[in-house]
Amino acid sequence: MTWTCEQTEARLSDYLDLAMTARDRAAFDAHVNTCESCAPMVANVSHLLTRMHTMEQIEPPPRLVYAILDQTLGPRDRVTGWDAVLAWFRGVGTVRFAYGAVSMVATLAIFVTAAGFNWRKPRLADLRPDVVFRNADREAHLVYGRGVKFVNDLRVVNEIQSRLRQDSEIPTSNESTVPPSSPDKHPGSSESSPSAPKQQNRANDVMRRMEVLADEMPFVAAPWMMRGEAGSRRTR
Amino acid sequence: MEQDAQLVQQCLQGVGSAWEELVRRHSRRIFNICYRFTGNGTEAEDLSQEVFLRVYRTLGSYRSAHGGFATWVTSVTRNLLIDHYRRTKRDRQTDSLDDAMPVVENKESAGRRPDEQVLLGELSSQVQTALKKLSPELREAVILRDLQQLEYMEIQQVLAVPEGTVKSRINRGRIELARILQQMGVRPS
Repeated sequence: MTWTCEQTEARLSDYLDLAMTARDRAAFDAHVNTCESCAPMVANVSHLLTRMHTMEQIEPPPRLVYAILDQTLGPRDRVTGWDAVLAWFRGVGTVRFAYGAVSMVATLAIFVTAAGFNWRKPRLADLRPDVVFRNADREAHLVYGRGVKFVNDLRVVNEIQSRLRQDSEIPTSNESTVPPSSPDKHPGSSESSPSAPKQQNRANDVMRRMEVLADEMPFVAAPWMMRGEAGSRRTR
Repeated sequence: MEQDAQLVQQCLQGVGSAWEELVRRHSRRIFNICYRFTGNGTEAEDLSQEVFLRVYRTLGSYRSAHGGFATWVTSVTRNLLIDHYRRTKRDRQTDSLDDAMPVVENKESAGRRPDEQVLLGELSSQVQTALKKLSPELREAVILRDLQQLEYMEIQQVLAVPEGTVKSRINRGRIELARILQQMGVRPS
């Protein structure tokens, strides 16, 4: 069955609202695909619906609700004099206000402390803007300096750890490369005597690396160096 | 819906807070219908107030068995909008003569409140302009179906016309609106 343009136009909303049987839908599609006037119409209306469904609701002005309530329930009673003052205090007594006030005081305390105010010996002069600025500037620089030092210390510790790890791995690889039929190895001899020079070499290597490290970062490597020298003296 | 019916009962018993709750729940939707129909923020605000005043006065005649409170309020809104349309027809005819003059048209858009300009946006304003050119019967049907997403049955109750008429108006309204937008130079992307 072939549809006419009038039929297609009359059933357009059913088609777009998906309120059509599969058979009618196929007939609708068949006509639209071959009709030069119906195809743009269907595309335009489909596009319009997409646009309209994405349009957001408009927020009415806030005064609208109050205007309606004033017109229907009558104007709200105006509170004046002491009643107005008491009404204000009633608002202050709410949990929300208390929570807000505590948050504000805590924030203020954090800022004042950060600005270098001494809570144990409070002085009015400490609250002068220039003093507050100077103290805040000093505190900021101190915090920055401590931060930089901390990061550097971490870097040094990491460097030492990685070097020590490398040192512990080197002998293992050396031992594995020694051929089983080495000429220095005598049958029946003890295993401890050939490993002693190796341990010595390893200790010397660690010491050499520590010296290099001490040259670069003396404040960190100095205690290890002193300990290492004492140990080597004992070995000798 | 049941909550609305309970609030109405409380209103009728004289509980002011129940009425306030009803106003808060429905004022946004009613304002939007009025705004889409008139295309003017101030008029929509005045009409919304008028709707709720009428609802407040006739609240005793509402029967929950005959449909939801939202549908009933929408029906009151629709009647008031049609009254407003007829009342202001003469003014609009003068306006439509002026609309032919591009200078006056620019003046109109320049006179729109800045917050309205922000609210509308380009997409919304094009559809809004096209909606104003639709006949009131088709306009209300399209607004209720495609902007307020009401079901056919609800629209049938609001407009008090048979289902076939509702479907026909929505269909004709959509096609006409698309044609107006095309004439305005808006092409599907």
